[in-house]
Amino acid sequence: MVKVVHYLNQFFAGLGGEEAAGTPPTRLEGSAGPGRGLAAALEGGEIVGTLACGDDYFAEHEEEALSRLLELLAADGADVLVCGPAFGSGRFGYACARLAAAAPIPALAAMHEENPGVAATEGRAFVVPTAANVGGMRDALPRMARLALALGSGRELGPPGEEGYLPRGFRRNVRADKVGAERAIDLLLAKLAGETRTEVAGGFDRVAPPPSVTDLSRALLALVTEAGCVPQGNPDRLPAIRAQGWLRYPIAGERGLERARYESVHGGFDVTLANEDPNRLVPLDVVRALEDEGRIGRIHDTFYTTTGNGTPVAASTRFGREIATELRDAGVEAVLLSGT
Amino acid sequence: MGWELATFPAALLGDVPDLEGVDSSVVRPGEPIRITHVLDAVEPRIRPDGRPAFPTVDKAGAGRTNRLDGVVVLPCLDFMDEERPLHEQESLVDMAGPGAELTPFARMTAVVLSFRPQPGIGNGAFEEEARRTTLRVAEDLARPTLAAEPEHVETFALGSVDEGLPAVAALVQLSDLGPLYYQYLYGVPVGDAGLPRIVEPAELMDGSVTSGEYHWAALRNPTLFFQRSSLVRALYREHGKRLRFAGLVLMRGYEQSAADKQRAAEAAAELAVDLGAEGAILTADAGGNSHTDVMLTCRACEEAGVRTTVVIAEMADPDATNPGLTDWVPEADAIVSVGNADELVEAWRPERVLGGDVLLDGTPAAEAGPIPVRNYLGATNQTGQLELTAVTW
Repeated sequence: MVKVVHYLNQFFAGLGGEEAAGTPPTRLEGSAGPGRGLAAALEGGEIVGTLACGDDYFAEHEEEALSRLLELLAADGADVLVCGPAFGSGRFGYACARLAAAAPIPALAAMHEENPGVAATEGRAFVVPTAANVGGMRDALPRMARLALALGSGRELGPPGEEGYLPRGFRRNVRADKVGAERAIDLLLAKLAGETRTEVAGGFDRVAPPPSVTDLSRALLALVTEAGCVPQGNPDRLPAIRAQGWLRYPIAGERGLERARYESVHGGFDVTLANEDPNRLVPLDVVRALEDEGRIGRIHDTFYTTTGNGTPVAASTRFGREIATELRDAGVEAVLLSGT
Repeated sequence: MGWELATFPAALLGDVPDLEGVDSSVVRPGEPIRITHVLDAVEPRIRPDGRPAFPTVDKAGAGRTNRLDGVVVLPCLDFMDEERPLHEQESLVDMAGPGAELTPFARMTAVVLSFRPQPGIGNGAFEEEARRTTLRVAEDLARPTLAAEPEHVETFALGSVDEGLPAVAALVQLSDLGPLYYQYLYGVPVGDAGLPRIVEPAELMDGSVTSGEYHWAALRNPTLFFQRSSLVRALYREHGKRLRFAGLVLMRGYEQSAADKQRAAEAAAELAVDLGAEGAILTADAGGNSHTDVMLTCRACEEAGVRTTVVIAEMADPDATNPGLTDWVPEADAIVSVGNADELVEAWRPERVLGGDVLLDGTPAAEAGPIPVRNYLGATNQTGQLELTAVTW
């Protein structure tokens, strides 16, 4: 028997309407509201408990709400967590998504595919698509039950279309029925005929820049690089490709990066010219001169380095966050980031 | 006239010549063998008129060339542990097991040439000797075809066709990043070969382009993929049916400065315009900033009124939903994905290992795994040679 815990908001759990939206997390025995229909569809499974939380409470106290709900979830020892359906409701959809994504057991959230909650799962939970409003309940529950049983039994899932969940954003290799060259001709002829299709969508994170440095002559400036610049001999074994982290080295009192003391171990470009003069990687010599002239307030005593070569975006994002946090804590206002 | 390619059966493959400093063996599909440190893959070819099959002076793509069907020469070389500015990446062919699905070489009779280290000569000279030897062996192995009848002969010629069909060009990128990361046009590193330039499509398939590029194995275009180019063959096949094949432009990957990248992108787009192309298929080699060259060329083409499709591999962390394209421009709105090079292939134990017993990362080749797709030669090659693609789960 697959043990299911069901998550609902105040309204569907029967705790009240908008006036009860501030209700903190609570647990109800067995199934409640749409959970009864879900339970009926769960052949070989049962709902052991229902967790509920007010939409406003979740939105305003996300961390506390999540930690309490996860405690309640753990106490039930369930095999799978089912959240919703939230249909088109943004607040409820978001709560379903965050809880499902945070759950340590397999979890699904059900909502309309345009609900902002879909993106909030960050690929960590399965989303069963539903209609935009509660009229889609009868259609949604059996599909939620089917996926819940699959997840709860530990069966390996097939592709999204077959199993009835929205693609989570992971890229999986499959064999197409034509070679890439023939597919390229098909895509190009379609595009020339006015129908543009793609097999992979481009696009990157857009990071909003902070306000400009108002007075560089008073600012603390740090040097950061992905050029694989390290002390000669690479004492901390920074990898030439696919670095797993970043390093920092002191430069207080140094006028520049001397050739005898620094080198690049980057495996993605010809480092000959860089190693003739490591200031070409991390321009300490020039920024020191600017510091002397008073055009830069002060150079941070540490420079940060990694190799940006073959590194997955997820890892690079983590390095950036970690380095930025340290720099901010040190009062750094400006960064000269040298890329290769 | 056009160029004739005559196909002969693999059964004509004779004995592999004894070569000094080389351990050679012939292996067949399904044998439980892993081949490591594979540099390139070359189809045996010879020309009945005595001109070289991999010319450095004469023009390729005219007259007749003989080929041995279903045979591949795989040179293997473990570079010596000495200073070098760029580092080769691991490159595997598995003749059986899950990795065999990823490379077409696992379905061919493979002549494996393992070059023994030659301390003291330097990696540059060592590589050059291995590359030249491989091409010479590929030519020698095809020699028995000179006294045999071909199974069939294909003629590659572009006759005049309905002017109303859309004109499509192929813009094929070749790498030149530095030592060990070179592809060659008529024996010259492409950085010195006056790229971008227009060549006859048949030239590409007739041994004018050879590979000495040892970056990520899956993203490489080994010599055989030019000899057997799915893209050029498909464009010939469609010529007069769904499109007019306007021609072929070779362009360089790894232009070394932002200004050079932009200049080269615009120059390639201009050549596409010169060919009268309404649309262009852009292919890539290797990864990293060669993808920037492709994306800038895509933008330059679109700005010049040439619509584009880009063929590119993804490098997406299998456990994250971040984008897997190294570079991208909004004009690249019709992309063919040739697969995610970062996906893992389940572990498999070969009974024999050729090429070298230890992988470049230090793990014993027989026990390695799971192994990322990027280590399998040509698996996600970016000319559209194979069927692999990636879809969103």
